[in-house]
Amino acid sequence: MDVTIKKIGINGLYIHASGRLDLDTAVDYGTKIKDTIEDSEEIIKEVILDFSEITFISSFGLKIILELFKLLKSQEGVLKLKNVSEQLMGSFKLVGFDKFLVFE
Amino acid sequence: MFKTVKSKILITAIVMLTILMSAFVCYTIVSRMKTKQLMVQNYVFSVDKFVQDINKKIIRYEDNVLDLARIGSLFYRTDKSFELTNKTIVKIFENYPDSLGGGIWFEPYIVDKAQKRICFYAYRNKENKVVLDESFNSEKYDYHNQGWYKQIISKVTPVNNVVWSEPYYENQGSNTLMITVGTGIYVNGELIGISTVDWEISTIIEDVSKMKPLEKTFSMYKNGDEIKNSFALFGNKDYDNIIATSDPYLNNDELIGHSLKEVPWYSDNLYAITYITYHNKKYIPFYKTLRNGMVLVVCVPEIEMFREIDKFYINMFTVLLLLGFIIPALLYFSMNRYIINPIAKLKDIAYKISNGEDVNIKIENPEEFAQLASTYDKMTNDIKLITRERAKINSELSIAKSIQASSLPNVFPPFPDKSEFDIFASMEPAKEVGGDFYDFYFIDDKKFMFLIADVSGKGIPAALFMMTVKTLINNLSQVNDDPKELIKKINKKICETNKEGFFVTMLAGIADTMTGELNIINCGHNLPLIKRQNGDYEYLKLNSNIALGVFEDTEFEIYNTVMKAGDIIFTYTDGVTEAININNEIYGEQKLYECLNNIKETKPNIIAQKVKASIQKYTDSVPQSDDITMLIFKYNGGVNKGVNKGTNNMKTFKQIVTQENYKAFYSWLHDTLQEWNINDDLTNKLDMCAEEIFANVAFYAYPDRQGLIDVSLNKFDNKIILEFKDGGIEYNPLEKPDPDISLPPEERPIGGLGIYMVKNLADEIYYKRENNNNILTLIFYI
Repeated sequence: MDVTIKKIGINGLYIHASGRLDLDTAVDYGTKIKDTIEDSEEIIKEVILDFSEITFISSFGLKIILELFKLLKSQEGVLKLKNVSEQLMGSFKLVGFDKFLVFE
Repeated sequence: MFKTVKSKILITAIVMLTILMSAFVCYTIVSRMKTKQLMVQNYVFSVDKFVQDINKKIIRYEDNVLDLARIGSLFYRTDKSFELTNKTIVKIFENYPDSLGGGIWFEPYIVDKAQKRICFYAYRNKENKVVLDESFNSEKYDYHNQGWYKQIISKVTPVNNVVWSEPYYENQGSNTLMITVGTGIYVNGELIGISTVDWEISTIIEDVSKMKPLEKTFSMYKNGDEIKNSFALFGNKDYDNIIATSDPYLNNDELIGHSLKEVPWYSDNLYAITYITYHNKKYIPFYKTLRNGMVLVVCVPEIEMFREIDKFYINMFTVLLLLGFIIPALLYFSMNRYIINPIAKLKDIAYKISNGEDVNIKIENPEEFAQLASTYDKMTNDIKLITRERAKINSELSIAKSIQASSLPNVFPPFPDKSEFDIFASMEPAKEVGGDFYDFYFIDDKKFMFLIADVSGKGIPAALFMMTVKTLINNLSQVNDDPKELIKKINKKICETNKEGFFVTMLAGIADTMTGELNIINCGHNLPLIKRQNGDYEYLKLNSNIALGVFEDTEFEIYNTVMKAGDIIFTYTDGVTEAININNEIYGEQKLYECLNNIKETKPNIIAQKVKASIQKYTDSVPQSDDITMLIFKYNGGVNKGVNKGTNNMKTFKQIVTQENYKAFYSWLHDTLQEWNINDDLTNKLDMCAEEIFANVAFYAYPDRQGLIDVSLNKFDNKIILEFKDGGIEYNPLEKPDPDISLPPEERPIGGLGIYMVKNLADEIYYKRENNNNILTLIFYI
């Protein structure tokens, strides 16, 4: 899975990936983002996940999202999801993630 | 602590002993008083004896003095031989060894006109020899002028009157305290002189102080054991003077000759057992008058008098008190040794036995416990045997129970390829093997029969009969089309095989899966509930037929109805409605009705689960007394197209389950679904569920080795069945509690969401453990 991580401003990250977020890919996806957040010299306050090309998210993928959310919350940052398709939105709603995640 | 046998026996013993001892103490107090009286009386006898002794002495003195008077008279009347008279006097005194001395004294000039004084006197010298003493004839002594002479001569009238003088000190010779007894010498009625005998008073005092109780009348006093500190008075009442005293508080010598009243304790009207107090001490006085008018008073200190008695009683009380301690102590120890310890031992053994320990019981002493122990031992061995037997029977029973349970169809969904209906049934057996059962099967291509029944009675016989009936119904229903004929035959067969008087209540339905036509036969069974599409559950008011196995020739009434897609029929046995709560109240039909109408779900297995939960909540801790059996049939509507057997549509995936293989797995899944033209939405659902189950098996099923996962995908007209099979450790994901998705994200656990999602995404989900495999079946409606 290709993951592109771009910096926005001093303490923002923009992440773009395509394909499935599942048992096969989610861990890799999550680790890359986490490492970037932790290695950054500045404290990351905003992470934008571009979901425009994500076709599927499994429970594994959802777990990774929750972990990222918690990590950012611990350093008073915000996790934003962009371009989430209606189908994926259903998955988020099913587990109640729509109540705290920020969708753009 | 007072609840033990030990303390009870001990308390009883102490109470008894206390009663016994108090009785004894009372008896002792009374007897002590009696003994004291006896003692005093005894002492009176002693005093009497003493008085008698003194009286004897007095008589002897008086005899002595009278003898002397006769000698005097003889001397006067005969030849007046001095020599003979002297000899006679000496002789006389030898006859009276107590007398100190004595003599004959003539009046002036009466014997011889020329001689004023004529007297004879003899006394006992230090060698106890009687010798004559002629010194009293002297002018110097002049006996006529001595007080004693005057006193006696003035009182000797008449003849033979014996007179006792006041006590005086003999200053002539021994200077001892004396009294003198005298009598007149008469010749022809004329008083010519006197005779006297001297008595040394110190001997009386000695006698008085030697007084002791009679030895033989009261054994308490040993020989020579005298009463100390008693004192006495010897006096002459006529002269009112004291002859002798032995009062330790007074100067006795000075009192002699004084008035009796000067002795403070003297009283002439004393008698036995009056107490007087003298110098702060209590005394018992004894008063006696002697034959010559003299008096004797003896005072005995009370303490001394009763010394021995008190000593005796004190000793007795001490012994009693000691016994009071020793007896309970002995009792306690012997009880411990012979009763309590063996009991405790038996108790410990019993405890060990009850814990299942193997013990050898041996008590040798005392005999009763030895017997008890051997009986115990035998009993224990018997119990062991019985327990072994019982365990065997129990294990056989539990095998019977599981055979019985497994004879009922228990794989759900039973017909995964049939979309026309859903069925779910369960039997929760009570502790014993019971008589409830259910069954269902196709009796031809489209007719589906389901039944629920309850054989009367419980236990092995009912269970065996149930098996017979179940097989019988199954066999008969395969060959009979007409429900009415079928039930008649069933009844007849049951009657034939039923020698034990069992009967069976049954509710059976025969449904045409194509048309929804339903024949219901109720043979004395609980009324079912039916839910019509979007309506409520209602009790189906059926006319009840007689239970099966009662009368051989019975006509049965069949109820006919038509089910529409979505209709649900709920059947059950009386174990449901007659479940009992802690107040012994039954669950009842009303509660069942309410419970069912509160269930929004329409999946039969969920309905059964919810009803069971409701019953469980109601009965709480009360153990289940009857089998709880339910059968729920839901009609989904007939399928007009040809029946799709589904085998052509089955795809399988079987590989080693690893994370790496997941990609292959989802590719297989996607390809299959695409081939079947399944829409994105459903594909997405299946994808999510499949990934979760796959991951679970990959991560947890085989903790220490690589294992296979066997996935099958099956498509029917209106549903897709996805089945996972793995040979890993037993794990039922449905038992996992749902996570709380309303929690704020910070508090949410990372895990647990997956299964929750699966449960919500799949329309039906079943788990079973079969041949060491976990089999999870997910059904998705198209």
